[in-house]
Amino acid sequence: MFKSKKAFLALLLVVAMLVGMFSVTAASKVKLVVWGRDLPDDDPAHAYIKALIEGFQAKNPDIDLEYLALGDPGLMDKTKVAMANNRDLPHIFQSWGGSVMGGYADAGRLYDLTAELKDIPGSAAAQQAMTWKGKIYGVAPFFAIAGVFVNEDIFEKYNLKVPTTIAEMEKVADTLLANGIQPFAVGARDKWPVLAMYMYLVNRFGGMEAFDNAQARKARFDSEPMVKAAQLYQEWAKRGYFGPTPLGEAYGDAQQLMATGKAAMHVTGSWMCAQYGDPSFTDQKIGFYPFPVLEGGKGKATDVMGMTDIGFAATRMAAENKDAVVRFMKYAMSVEACSAELGRICSVPGVKAPNRLTEMASAVFAKAEAIQFWWDQDLAPSITSPLNDTLQQFLLPNSNVKQLLTNYEMIVEEFVGPAR
Amino acid sequence: MHKNAKTFAIMPGKNRSKKKRDWNELIFKTLLLTPAVLFLVVFMYYPIEETFRLSMTRSTGLGPTVFVGFQNYVRLFQNEEFLMGLKNVLRWAFWSVVIQIPFSFFIAFSLSVFKNRITKPLRVIYYLANVLPSAITAMLGRFVFAPRHGVIPSLANKFNWQWLARIDFLGDPKLAFWSIFAVATWAYCGFYVIYLMANIEQIPKDIRESAQLDGATPWQYARYIVIPMTSYAIRIVSILCIVGSMKIFDLPWLMTTGGPGYATSTLGIVLYKSGFVNWQYGRAAAVGVVIFLLSLFFTIIQFSLQRKESDL
Repeated sequence: MFKSKKAFLALLLVVAMLVGMFSVTAASKVKLVVWGRDLPDDDPAHAYIKALIEGFQAKNPDIDLEYLALGDPGLMDKTKVAMANNRDLPHIFQSWGGSVMGGYADAGRLYDLTAELKDIPGSAAAQQAMTWKGKIYGVAPFFAIAGVFVNEDIFEKYNLKVPTTIAEMEKVADTLLANGIQPFAVGARDKWPVLAMYMYLVNRFGGMEAFDNAQARKARFDSEPMVKAAQLYQEWAKRGYFGPTPLGEAYGDAQQLMATGKAAMHVTGSWMCAQYGDPSFTDQKIGFYPFPVLEGGKGKATDVMGMTDIGFAATRMAAENKDAVVRFMKYAMSVEACSAELGRICSVPGVKAPNRLTEMASAVFAKAEAIQFWWDQDLAPSITSPLNDTLQQFLLPNSNVKQLLTNYEMIVEEFVGPAR
Repeated sequence: MHKNAKTFAIMPGKNRSKKKRDWNELIFKTLLLTPAVLFLVVFMYYPIEETFRLSMTRSTGLGPTVFVGFQNYVRLFQNEEFLMGLKNVLRWAFWSVVIQIPFSFFIAFSLSVFKNRITKPLRVIYYLANVLPSAITAMLGRFVFAPRHGVIPSLANKFNWQWLARIDFLGDPKLAFWSIFAVATWAYCGFYVIYLMANIEQIPKDIRESAQLDGATPWQYARYIVIPMTSYAIRIVSILCIVGSMKIFDLPWLMTTGGPGYATSTLGIVLYKSGFVNWQYGRAAAVGVVIFLLSLFFTIIQFSLQRKESDL
């Protein structure tokens, strides 16, 4: 009886020790909450996220990573609500940087990681995108630039050269139209796809300062380069360069037009490299080229429009978990995680471009002397949706583009202030 | 006297027990009503009051909230998108009442009066669109009206009707509203049909039989018997229709994002964009208040008209 009692006590002690040990292990595990857009699944477009989440978990067993995929616009909406409430914030959230991130930073919702992140190898533009008022709040392992996707098969068939000037581009477009090919795919129903080409046209007319000055309120949004670019855009729409029904087609329709060889060019972001280079998506040979220059215009071929493609920013909650947050950020910028990506331009040195298209886009990015961020990400949130509403109407043949820009300027004056 | 004396002797006791009973009844009623009252206060009256308060402020949700009085309302009525949204919801309400209600009544009357083997399946078919989530309805709408590969352009191409194939139903500002309205009519009428049918079928059979004996045609039966006897139900669906129009959001947002430009914008879209895209919570609240007041206004008008009629 005594013996069994002793054995029972010994067993109890062992159990107590085991329970204690496990509870200590569980308590020592640091919880890290990350909000992202994409699921870490087998979709080729999610390859990087999958590698990041799985790789980080494998390499950091002491961190309990809780990754929540919220989709689009779920990620933005949930983040906005959480930031406004200032509670239930994650430690890290996927961010495109710019003024939206800046708004959160100004409200004190973000955590300054300048000292920890400033020396991580990466492109200066990507780091700049995640910087607000001199403080670095996150990392941008992938950067997107806008350029011209060209269907090289069609160009070869009609003996066309990839245009390097706007005049050449118009000639190419006329030839394509004459042969029943739509020159440009756009997908204007979704509004924002109109912006990429307009940003380039404004730049080619007035240089980087055309937008920079308007944003800094040193010039109006209905200034000469803005109006000229809008008039040219509308003129192209009238000529049929964007097809007969650009406003009824969404961005997905534009992709299909390119993928099936019905449209020959698409001015959009380099995030399309993975799809346009994927033989299961399109049998067309597509290339990526810089937007042409305008003879007599101020913009240069090396002026490039772009912004963060995938980025992560730290919230004020990172203060309680700084080490884990920094480890995640560094792993997000690692060659190992980034090498899994199948199409985006990587801002981390040493990561090979995964396909020919991304290589071409990376080459354009490498030659860029000046980068201008997406206007609808870089302007104050109060004036971004009216911008896209305004630009969409350039494709209406009877709209008065000057008046539209003046109306937009009035909205900017109301929320940001008049141009000085 | 003796009788009276007895009565007086008994009354105080009766009063006491009656008072006690009244008191118990009051407590019981209060207990029963409390959850409902609490629910109303917390989930209806408080949010309404908060929305009014927020509409008088300038707030991004992140920075300080500044009291600006009626400035948000003044700015709203100078804003092109809001004015377009207001015009569109009023247009939507008008045409809903003019088209959707008579159409629904016609279907409901036909299904109730001319009963045969296909009536039941037809009821299901008409109601089916109503149970679909609006995202699916919008997707189907886009599938029908999409340029090039949509149902209409595909059929037009098949019959070589190039004039029809070229029409941009969702991209033409003049047509986009009507394209969405057509989808809405298909989606929403099912509910009105079922509601009106339930009321039409409550009309006693003998009334219909006597009308038939008197030689009334179906049109006369509808005009002189069914419409007057279901006028209350018609009014109810009209109110639902108008109030629903004031806050319409899903179909225009999912089919055209309120475009081209602001051609299909609605107050609901302006509210969503102001709050969630442009970070103007005060402005968004002001739009919410306008929607609330418009809905209230139309509801009061409807009910006062009904009261006048019943007084007559």
